[in-house]
Amino acid sequence: MKNITRRSFIASGVKAALVGTAAVNSAATAQSTPWSNWSGGQICQPAGRYDIASEEQLIDLLKGTSGPIRPIGSGHSFSPLIPTDGHLVIIDQLSGILDYDSSTLEATIGAGSRLGDLGAALEEIGQGMFNLPDIDRQTLAGATATGTHGTGVSLQSLSGYITSLRLVTPEGDIRDIDASDGDLFDAVRVNVGALGVVTQIRMQNRENYKLRKREWAAPTEDILANFDELAASHRHFEIFPRVYSDYSSVLSIDETGEPIGQTIIPDEDVASIEPQPLGPNPSPLERLNYNNARAANTQLTEAVDVSYKLLSNLRNTRFNEMEYSVPAAVGAECVREILKTIYDQAIEVAFPLEYRYVSPDAPWLSMAYGDEPHATISIHRVASEDYNPYFDIMEPIFWKYGGRPHWGKLHSLGHRELSQLYPRFKDFMEIRESLDPNGRMLNQHLKNLFDA
Amino acid sequence: MNNSLKPLAFLLFALSICACSGAIQSSGATGIPFSNDVTDAAVMGKWGRSCALCHVNGEAGAPIVGDRAEWQQRLAQGEESILQRVLEGYNSMPPLGYCMACEVSDFRAMIGFMAGNNQ
Repeated sequence: MKNITRRSFIASGVKAALVGTAAVNSAATAQSTPWSNWSGGQICQPAGRYDIASEEQLIDLLKGTSGPIRPIGSGHSFSPLIPTDGHLVIIDQLSGILDYDSSTLEATIGAGSRLGDLGAALEEIGQGMFNLPDIDRQTLAGATATGTHGTGVSLQSLSGYITSLRLVTPEGDIRDIDASDGDLFDAVRVNVGALGVVTQIRMQNRENYKLRKREWAAPTEDILANFDELAASHRHFEIFPRVYSDYSSVLSIDETGEPIGQTIIPDEDVASIEPQPLGPNPSPLERLNYNNARAANTQLTEAVDVSYKLLSNLRNTRFNEMEYSVPAAVGAECVREILKTIYDQAIEVAFPLEYRYVSPDAPWLSMAYGDEPHATISIHRVASEDYNPYFDIMEPIFWKYGGRPHWGKLHSLGHRELSQLYPRFKDFMEIRESLDPNGRMLNQHLKNLFDA
Repeated sequence: MNNSLKPLAFLLFALSICACSGAIQSSGATGIPFSNDVTDAAVMGKWGRSCALCHVNGEAGAPIVGDRAEWQQRLAQGEESILQRVLEGYNSMPPLGYCMACEVSDFRAMIGFMAGNNQ
């Protein structure tokens, strides 16, 4: 896809679909609609789409067809996990709560369920998920396959709460996998969509609960200097370090029994105070002074609600993202270097960073695999802008601190580097090879990841 | 479709279409290019799993299903323009509007349905 622009690619697909004539390029003869991820940064022309309504359909498909396939959730991954000239397998009809146990607080969930649909459904049976990521449009299968996590030094990634799952292998065989399967269980809980198609996931939940969320601004250095203590004293604690600023937006979330509502409302008169506007082409110092003045007007807000309504939120601005985890012990140093580099090189970016801790995790490909908590650091770029110049400068900084990439976010690493970062990476590659010896689940990106 | 019909009522109506196979004929509204039959349960199922996420409650400024005035403004821009926005994404709406299973023919039917074209 290197020789045509994204716009012309999609436009040609629209034209072909509208007039029902020739395919959009020589590699694809089908009339299937071009595919794009959430940000628009990844595109492909699939040969077709399989919209799966049942496990039986999926098994028939896998046994009765050949050629590359890629299972897809909601298309929220920024990395090229999906693009294929084979077929997309859509699983969002495999959804809902299929079974639950009120004594163990587990629920078996259709893997195509969107996280945002699960909160209320689980609440009805008295359960709540331990944690959620920022965005809840993803499917449970997609979120867990990519090791997606929320915030909290005592909280694992979503995959860490899987107690069993059902995998339909590339050859169409059903495998119900739990902790008794040992290595396979730890491989499949973060599987990057490379081991087969997951149709059901049993999650360890807890009783449903309410949270109190507080947001304010504080000097970044003050927070970083005390981050371990702050992270340990709140169920969730994270900051959004502002670029060209000495301040961060700060977010803490804790369990509460208080009534639901907006408990602290900002004073609109104070919130509307704006410093003198910046002129054209401001210098980094001018931006710093402006942003610091704005931060001084930021007020505390506080709200109480059921957990799933506070842990995730809607993102109205589409973007591309890179996220790495580094050992928590060096997280603050890594953040400082990123902020300093942006300032020193006058990189044109407005999005804040995101910085938080996650608990040690057992799935092999979890960003927090191992015995120590990890800090995760995210950088963003508005979807309409080219992210490469910014991300190309930032990525080596993550590497310097031993960073492990998030599978659903942009990175440029291959199997050689990944084998150094993830202690069980080669074991995962062996399991992948055994389950999919013909590489049916692979696209070019996954071939690069797994040396296949 | 009454413009004042509440989104939830509209959703229930739509899902009732999904749940049965009985045909509801298009009224043949004029001047609107999207006039596909909305009785296809498969299409409406896709709509319920994707477009409905935002177009039922107007999440992120999305035009609400059945709000003919809002939809007429968009339809006036032309069929290909709207399809292109769906495929490429527009404002907060991601490319394909979260419908990974949809083909262009599905989108045509869904837009016609949301515009109240079949009522």
